[in-house]
Amino acid sequence: MNLGFVVGVFGVLILSHAAYSTIQYRGLLKIMEEEFSRPPINVILELIIGLALCMWAALTFPGKFLSIHPDSDENRTVSLPDNSDFMIFNHRGRLFPPEIDMKF
Amino acid sequence: MVTKTEETQLNQLENQVENGGGGVWEYLCLVRKLKVRRSEIVLKHGLSILNDSGKRSALGPDEWTLYEQVAIAAMDCQSLGVAQNCIKALQKKFPESKRVGKLEALLLEAKGMWEEAEKAYSSLLEDNPLDQVIHKRKVAMAKAQGKPSLAIEHLNKYLEVFMADHDAWRELAEIYVSLQMYKQAAFCYEELILTQPTLPLYHLAYADVLYTMGGLENLIAARKYYAATIDLTGGKSTRALLGICLCGSAIAQLSKGRNKEDKDMAAPELQSLAATALEREYKQKAPAKLNLLTSALRNLKIS
Repeated sequence: MNLGFVVGVFGVLILSHAAYSTIQYRGLLKIMEEEFSRPPINVILELIIGLALCMWAALTFPGKFLSIHPDSDENRTVSLPDNSDFMIFNHRGRLFPPEIDMKF
Repeated sequence: MVTKTEETQLNQLENQVENGGGGVWEYLCLVRKLKVRRSEIVLKHGLSILNDSGKRSALGPDEWTLYEQVAIAAMDCQSLGVAQNCIKALQKKFPESKRVGKLEALLLEAKGMWEEAEKAYSSLLEDNPLDQVIHKRKVAMAKAQGKPSLAIEHLNKYLEVFMADHDAWRELAEIYVSLQMYKQAAFCYEELILTQPTLPLYHLAYADVLYTMGGLENLIAARKYYAATIDLTGGKSTRALLGICLCGSAIAQLSKGRNKEDKDMAAPELQSLAATALEREYKQKAPAKLNLLTSALRNLKIS
């Protein structure tokens, strides 16, 4: 698997580990009968790292982003399709048969 | 709608195929997808695939689509024998097929036997009165025989039933323009813009028709639509930039006698902006013709 996918899995694992630590911390506080204001510093650090890794993976893993500008090179309409439903064979090219003698 | 990347891809494949590299099948698929009209090349290389029985069987079920594509290209290049043989092969494989019946009628059209083709289309229509392609072929036949009024009549009847068909509206607009019935052509382009407002080419064609009609309101509207085209294409449409300059000078000429209230304020800025953009583009793409452009623009501003 490519790097983006691995980093993404890693980021998700770090986030779930941070969640588990917070739950354990809350349980510890309940035993010590203190209030739960915010998770400990190391869990917050872990959360930030997990966020950064997941964001990087989300941007790298899907591959090339498509352009949404209507006038970018990918989306710019250069010409309309020639109306082949109304094509007529009565044009001047009729007088110029192809040079190579086609056999079939 | 052919986008720029698709066009470059098409040209690249075309060069490759013409110079003897491989990639013929991809080229043929791309031509079919983009619905462009490259009949000679399709005929030459399609026949080379069809004549080689090894390559032909490698295609599998796509072989019959190739037969159809080569048959139509052959009719366009006036190689009617080749077309006849392709259709015979298709008939052997698919007897009693409507699609092959349409191809036969198309061949009659290409040979110039209008009555027989008319009879064939009428019989096909009896079986299936709501077949869009056959109605459109009747319009094309009227056009090919040089009866544009009959074509317009048929096309109007068709559009009463199938109002959402963009190709038909476009065809009607072009026929009206060729007959110089500009008001009706403007109506058709309005319909097109209503259904597909993001396509700058319709705005451009509408602005052209309005500019041709002339008259002060039409010129002001034309300038608005040229500006809309420039907006939609990000300033890359040379024709729209030139259109703005011409409209500006035409409006200035028409409103010379009127009082100051009628003069629109946006005119001089828009015109000078368009002129600078044009000069920049010419410097980039065609520096030899730059002085032609500057003298033409100078004449517009003076007159």
